[in-house]
Amino acid sequence: MKFTVIFFLTLLILVPGHLFAKVYFDVYASGFKKIVIAVPYLKSQEPSKLRTEIPELIQKDLEFSGFFTCAPWSILDRDFQEEGIEKTEISFNKWKSIGVEILLKGKVQEQGDEIITEIYLYDTTYGSLEFAKRYKTKKAGLIPLIHRICDDIIESVTGARGILSSKLLFVSGPKGATEIFISGIDGFGMRKLTDYKTITVLPSMSPDGKYLSYTSYREGKPHLYIFDMEKGTQVFVDREEGVKVGKEWLDRKTLIYTHTSGRYSSIVKFDVENKTKKVLLKKEGIVASPSPSPDGKKIVFTSDMYGTPQIFTLDLATGEIKRLTYQGKYNASPVYSPKGDLIAFVSKIDGALEICVMDPSGDNVRMLTNSGGINDSPHFSPCGRYLVFSSQKGGKTSISLMFVNGENKRTLSFTGQNEMQPRFVPQ
Amino acid sequence: MKFFLPILIIFLLLPSCKPKVIQPGIYREIPKLGEKEIAEREAKDEREDRANRILGEAKIETENILTNEMERERKVIESPFKDIFFDFDSYLIKAEYYPLLDSISEWLKLKSNRNVIIEGHCDERGTHEYNLILGQKRGDAVRDYLVRKGVDPTRLKVISYGKERPIDPRHTEEAWAKNRRAHFRFE
Repeated sequence: MKFTVIFFLTLLILVPGHLFAKVYFDVYASGFKKIVIAVPYLKSQEPSKLRTEIPELIQKDLEFSGFFTCAPWSILDRDFQEEGIEKTEISFNKWKSIGVEILLKGKVQEQGDEIITEIYLYDTTYGSLEFAKRYKTKKAGLIPLIHRICDDIIESVTGARGILSSKLLFVSGPKGATEIFISGIDGFGMRKLTDYKTITVLPSMSPDGKYLSYTSYREGKPHLYIFDMEKGTQVFVDREEGVKVGKEWLDRKTLIYTHTSGRYSSIVKFDVENKTKKVLLKKEGIVASPSPSPDGKKIVFTSDMYGTPQIFTLDLATGEIKRLTYQGKYNASPVYSPKGDLIAFVSKIDGALEICVMDPSGDNVRMLTNSGGINDSPHFSPCGRYLVFSSQKGGKTSISLMFVNGENKRTLSFTGQNEMQPRFVPQ
Repeated sequence: MKFFLPILIIFLLLPSCKPKVIQPGIYREIPKLGEKEIAEREAKDEREDRANRILGEAKIETENILTNEMERERKVIESPFKDIFFDFDSYLIKAEYYPLLDSISEWLKLKSNRNVIIEGHCDERGTHEYNLILGQKRGDAVRDYLVRKGVDPTRLKVISYGKERPIDPRHTEEAWAKNRRAHFRFE
């Protein structure tokens, strides 16, 4: 069931984003201050339950994002709720006096099958209008509309888009019969992409969303498949002996994966369109989880070349291999952030697997989870501010989201079964 | 049972001259008898025969009638395929499994028509991706051992299941130890 939502977007007033420069978000610093936002009822000419429903949903999304604290409805008395939405009608000092920094105002109108919403965002410090947009959508598209509004608000306030409209790829199902799913991060619009009733794991999508790759046992052995999402056809299968796994793309048509059989492990670069394969690195023992740097110059990977799994980089121009991790006996599954300023990975600490980040040099290792369970598969959001990962406690594995400083942890839920190997779908 | 005397059948096994004692219903292997022990045993049998004659009981003659074909069948019944277990994050075969793998390679050389899949498995305490590869290395380590013992490499295939197919689903040290294994199945 494909869900089509069409947004008619009208930009009413364009305000330069730098006016908001006073709000600087550094999510790498721990304990940054959340912004206090007020989202009172919307105005509507005809009676509509949307005038309270939309602000409620917006508040939920904004709280979820981790950037905002919403002023509780209990302190918004009649005066606050009844105030007009025009700049001249707003008493900014009153809002400031209760600690509100950003004020959202708006109106909603139901027209047949459509919802027309106008959203105005004010900075109470300067009494300035920062953002004004009109949104028009079908009633069935209410949830995507809310996510869209909130991502716009987050972009206006923080300088980069939110993740509320983002989609995730993940794997779910009973052991031995896992399938690939795609879903909004709130579970909205969830779809199953495979139905092989066997082990299917480690999905990834090419940067433009055209190709889906995964490793599946649908022919009895762990082969690597690439599927063309536009044409709905399978375009490649690596059926060589051994195990083939990979989930990072060098560019829109080049998948990087590993092939292990016999004595050697190789990092392979596969060009989907020209169907050409090139071995980038071949080593004895284990080579796993290759992930290219955003500039495409390096590949970070795991290897046991010194006995235990540790993280290394391979310089693609010179072939030079550099070891990054020295702490502990198990460091694996590295992945570069979209800006290349961080590497997230999994480290064995006190018997548990925890998610960590470090600088691309290997310095400044920070542990982000401390659950004592098995945390795996870290992956950055396209904006680079969040990480998704899987977390197993006892028999239950679920997907979580957090800021790259480890704060604002949220457990996501989709199928109700074990959910793992999450990845943001490229935007 | 009229006679409580155990019937001993001593036979020679292959050119390696490995004597075996077979009791009714039970197969029991006597560990490596040397020339001296065999001579002693024969002398003892003779003494017993003489004693039996004195007591007026019939001499029991024995003859090895186990043919090569029967020997093969017997070996098939005694299929040596058992799981090989590994230490955490290791694909090194522990020395304690060498005798087991030796008997598996002997079996495979006898039953030249059976091809085998070696499954590599891991416990849950590792990343999905790394464990898929670790399982492959475990399977390949076992395969490599058997090939070095003379098994035709084309008869041995390795499939890694990472941590996707634990034999014990619990989350305890005991379960993890059971799950870090190479498992055999016929193709």
